[in-house]
Formats: sequence, C-alpha cells, structure tokens
Amino acid sequence: MPIQQSRGPYLQAMRRLFFAITLALAVLGPWWSGSAAAQSAACPDSIRVGLVFPLTGREGRPGTYQVEGIKLAMEQINAKGGVNVKACGKRLPFKEIVYDDQSDQARSVQLAERTMSSDNVVAVLGGYSTVLGQAQSVVADRYQVPWITPGAAASAIFTQGRQWVFGTLTPVDVLGYTTMKFLGSLADQGKLEKGLKIAIVVENTDHGKDYVEGVTRWIKEHAGYFTVVFNESFQLGATDFSGLLQRVKAASADIFLSDAHLQDYITMHRQYTQTGLYHRMVSYGARGPEEPARKALGPAADYIFAGTWWEKGLPYKQVSAFTQAYKQKYGRDPDNFYPATAYDSVRVLAAAIETAGSLDRTAVRDALRKVRLTDSLMPGQVLEFQKNGQAMAPFVIVQNKPGDKVDFVYPEDTKTGEAVTKIPR
Amino acid sequence: MGLTDLLNLLVAAILLAGIYTTMSMGMTVIYGVMKMVNLAHAGFMMLGAYFALELSQRTPIDPLAASVLAVPLFFLLGVATYWTMVRFVPVADEPTLPSLLLLFGLWLVLQNVGYIVWGADDRSILTAMTMATLRFGGITIPIIRLIVFGIAVLSFVALQLFLNHTWFGRSVRALTQNREAGQLVGIDTRRTAMLTFGLGIAFTGLAGALLATLYSFTPDFGASFMLRSFVIIVLGGLESFSGVAIGAVIVALIETFSILVVPASYQLAISFILLVVALLVLPGGIEGLLQRRRLQR
Repeated sequence: MPIQQSRGPYLQAMRRLFFAITLALAVLGPWWSGSAAAQSAACPDSIRVGLVFPLTGREGRPGTYQVEGIKLAMEQINAKGGVNVKACGKRLPFKEIVYDDQSDQARSVQLAERTMSSDNVVAVLGGYSTVLGQAQSVVADRYQVPWITPGAAASAIFTQGRQWVFGTLTPVDVLGYTTMKFLGSLADQGKLEKGLKIAIVVENTDHGKDYVEGVTRWIKEHAGYFTVVFNESFQLGATDFSGLLQRVKAASADIFLSDAHLQDYITMHRQYTQTGLYHRMVSYGARGPEEPARKALGPAADYIFAGTWWEKGLPYKQVSAFTQAYKQKYGRDPDNFYPATAYDSVRVLAAAIETAGSLDRTAVRDALRKVRLTDSLMPGQVLEFQKNGQAMAPFVIVQNKPGDKVDFVYPEDTKTGEAVTKIPR
Repeated sequence: MGLTDLLNLLVAAILLAGIYTTMSMGMTVIYGVMKMVNLAHAGFMMLGAYFALELSQRTPIDPLAASVLAVPLFFLLGVATYWTMVRFVPVADEPTLPSLLLLFGLWLVLQNVGYIVWGADDRSILTAMTMATLRFGGITIPIIRLIVFGIAVLSFVALQLFLNHTWFGRSVRALTQNREAGQLVGIDTRRTAMLTFGLGIAFTGLAGALLATLYSFTPDFGASFMLRSFVIIVLGGLESFSGVAIGAVIVALIETFSILVVPASYQLAISFILLVVALLVLPGGIEGLLQRRRLQR
C-alpha cells in the first residue's frame, strides 16, 4: 500500500504529461506538418511551368518553334543557377511540363485546365495562334494561375477584364496600323502616290478582324492617303480562293493586304500568282519571310512585305546572342517571331518571380504587371505588359527580296534596305 | 464583275471539279461494292501527297508523273490494307459501326505515322509549271491546274472503260447494284471486294499526289477534301460513278460562284448546306433523279 500510495502521484503526473503531449500533438501536429508541407510546397526543388502548345496538327510547326524558344530560355537560366526566389533563400531551376494540344481547341482547354489544376505549376505558357490562345485564356482566371501566351495577339483575349492573362505579342490591330503607317510614310516620301486603292482580304478570326480595324483606323485618321475598295474575309484553312481572288481582281486595287496563317498564305498566294493578279505592293499581315513559304512560292514570294513582331536581323546584341544560341541548339536559324516571343515570355516570367520573391501565384501575377524587361528581343528592346496584360512593342516591317533575302524597311532606325514600292512584273 | 471575270470563274470552277471528281471516285468505288464509308480517305490522300513529294525530291521524276506512279503503289497498299484489316469486318448492306471505327482509327494511325516520318512542317511541291499560266484574252488558266484536270479526266475515263469492258469491272458494277444477285451468278465477292478496295485507294493516292502539286500539306492534310468528297458522293447518289462527276461539277460551281453573293468565309458552310439539301430533297442523289426521269418516260 505505501508503495502504491507513493506511486500514485507519480503515475498521475505521468498520465497528465502523456495527456498533455497527446493534446499538443493533436492540436499542433497538423499545424506543424501543414507548415512543413507548405514550406516544401512554397519552396520545391524547381519552378514548375506548364507548356500547352500545338506540337502536331495544323499549328504544329510554329507551336514547336515556340516550345524550342521556351526550352532554350529555361536552359540558359538554369545554367546560371536558376531564378533567385527570396522566400526560399536560394535559386531554383525551371522545370517544364509539356503538353501537345494537337492544334485542337477542345484539347487545348482540357490540357490547360489539367496543368493548372494538377501539376502544381507556378505559371502556364501556351496558346499559339489566336484560336487556340483564345480557347486557353478562359481557364487562367478560373484556376488563378498566371498564363502567358507568346503566340496569340487578338484583342478579344485581353479585353474581357481577365486578371491572370498576359501576352508577349503586341495587339494585331497595331500590326494593321503599323502596316498603314509604313505605306503612309512611303506616300510622304513620294514613293507611293496618294489616293491609291487598297483591297483587304483577311481570315475570319479575331486576328483578321483586329488587322482590318488597325488598317481602317489609320485610313480614317489620315484622309486622302488611301481608299479601301474591297474588304472581305475568308474561311480559315480554305482550299480554294479562286472566286475570292477573281473578285479582288475585279476591284482593280493598287495594293493587296491580307492577314492569313501560313498555310492560307501559301495557298492563296499560289492561286494569286496563277490567276495572274498583280498589285504594286502585297502583304499577308505577319506572314511573308517564312522559309516554307519561300520554298513553296519561289520567286513569287519576292517583294511581299510583312509586319512582324520580330526578325532575326534586328540590330540588338541580345538578338544576335539569341540567334546564335538557337542555331547552336537546334541546327537552324529561328524562323519568324515564334521562338523569340516564347523565349522572352520565360525571361519575363523569371524576372517576375525574382521581383515577387516567392512562387506564390498571386505575387507572381502582381509582379508580372509591374515587371519591365529592358533587354528584350522585341523591337524597341523593352517588354512590359499594359493594364490588360498585353505587351505593346512596336512592329517592324520587312520585305522579301530576291535570293531569299529579307530587308528591314520600316521604321528608319532598323532599316537594312529600301522598300520596293512597285513589284517588278 | 464583267463577263471576262465570270468566264475566269467558270474556268476555275471546271478545273476544280476535275480534282474533286478524282478525290471522290475512290470513296464511291469502295462504298458501292463494300458499303463502307472510307473514313481513312484523308489519310491515304495525305500519303499520296508525301509520295509525290518524296519521289520528286529523291529522283528526277516529275511530281505529276509521280502521281501516275502512285496508282499501282496505292493499289497494292489498298489490297494489303484489305487483306490485313478490312476483310475481318462483317459484310453488310449498309455502313456498320465496326467498319467506321476501323477506318477512322486507321486514319488516326496514318496521321500519326505521318507526323513521325515527316514532322509537322508545311511541305509543298514547286515545279517550273506551278506559277505558269496560259492566257486567252482576259481568261487566265493556270497550267498546273489544267494538267491536273487533264489527268483527272483521263483517270475518270479509264475507270469508266475499266468498269464497262472488263470482267472485274462488270463484277464491281454487279455487286454495287445487287450483292446477292452477284453472288448467285458466281462472282467471287471477297476477291472483288479486295481488288475494289485496292482500286479505291489507288484513286485516293492519285488524288493526294495531284493535290500536292496545288497545295501545301502536313500530315493533317486531306480532312477538308474528305468532307467535300462526302458532299459530292451524296449529291452524286453514293454508288454512281457518273453521278460523282456531276456532283463534283455542282459543288465546284456553287462554291466558286457563291462568292458573288455570299461572303467567302461561308464557303465550307455552303458545302454542308448542299449536303443537307441533298439528303432531304435528293436522297438518291443526282443519279436517283435521273433514273426517276428515265422511268417516267
């Protein structure tokens, strides 16, 4: 009994201690483990970025080039140790999770949702071409993941008040407007007469609509320069343009402006030449100097001018470095703007993460709104997003010349050759 | 638009009808005998296009000559496809789900094989004739389209002669009209079906190779042409070879001239409206209409 009496308080004290520990574990355990998990989620081994692009299908080629640009940028950043994430107290490398949407709208949305909801990504890059970009853009706000498109520029994506959507391409209406500024400058220099007639033929997408909006806005603001005598849209991916081109012929315009995707540009310009059409100047919007088009069209592609977001001949040292690195990695020159805008989308994301100092999606989104990349590959060398999330770099105008040459013809500070204002017959 | 412009449109429509006829013929031959809708049509057209490209790049053979060479090769490919896959599909008097699924699956496989072998780049064939034109007053005729039209017409005539003057051709026509009666008079249905599938694929390969000289292409190539083929064969009467030619002319004329009254962006919609109208108003197609006229006389 005495022993029992003497052990009673001890056992009681032990019971209390055990109870206290159990209670503490019950109360603090989840907090502790949650905090540890949160710590590991906030500071993972890498910065996961979802890529949803068309690697096959109709848009497979430009989509592949965009992914190549992204991978090159990530590789270069990772080679320097990665992105400095202040909250983690270390530099973290990028890790890409790539999905092929097969140029299919429904699949594009599905994959964007999948990577945003299941891959624990900090941001998603995706959406080459207006149609696929538009499809993806609707899910970013739903999942609250920063989404950057390096390949879709239609204003419809950026005018819906979406908060998580960003784009490194300048709006397409600026393409139309710059095209007209270029033609207007030629008229001012006396290289084109004032009062020339223009025929416009564009794809039936928001891309096409924006282009026409830019062209007509400039014409309204500058009365007496040009008149539009024909304005029609066509089915994206159409197989025959004979009827449409016959109507263009009947309109007797002096300048032919089109806005088309690569396949349509090739098909239409073949039929344009076969139909015996002639205009003093011809443009297919942002298309013109692409290698497959020059192969498919031969000398018929000479003198076509294009407003482009980027060209490898831009006289900036970062452009030369990018072109060299791209060629070294992929064994060919970057084709058109595709890899360049994608490359800059990674760099701007890296800058935003460093500014945010964490991988928190909201912080990264807010930083993207403020970040300013001053060694951008884009014309003007500055990449920053407007309030609506879209970049606003100037366009440059290039013109195909014989022998697969491409000259910068506008603006003056990028010029590498004179614009030919009357295509030789 | 002046008279010259309208004549130019007419020329464009007729040239377009030639290629539409060739690409629809293969589908009609197969449907007529086997009652199968060849959903792999676009896949074989794509292979035909790459065949012409490869041959013109690796050998001095002209791409248009390559299109003719596609005929025997694609015939063998069709026979092989029949022997390895299609023959296991149950025979029926109307398209069955297994046949649709098999051929749709085959199309997807061919597409993906295309991506593996050739990648997603736009390819095209450029010859000295591609941009050349003939001019008669204000009428402009693209030489390449004229040649493609010529090959299409010749192949159509050859098919008609073949169907009307050979034992195999008569077997094809007999099975198209009445399978049981054909069997009763001793036609080997399985052998005829195998050769018919080969013939259909031969025409499809030819069409693909010809289209490659006109358009740029990727492994996705052919889908929009296949949809037009559906419209044309429904309009033609599904099993009628001459009906297909008439259907092709109608579709080409409507697509080309509709631009005068309907925006160009509705071109594809016009084809589908035609399909719906044909199904509602002319369930037997042009051929059915002509037959009814003949009976009324």
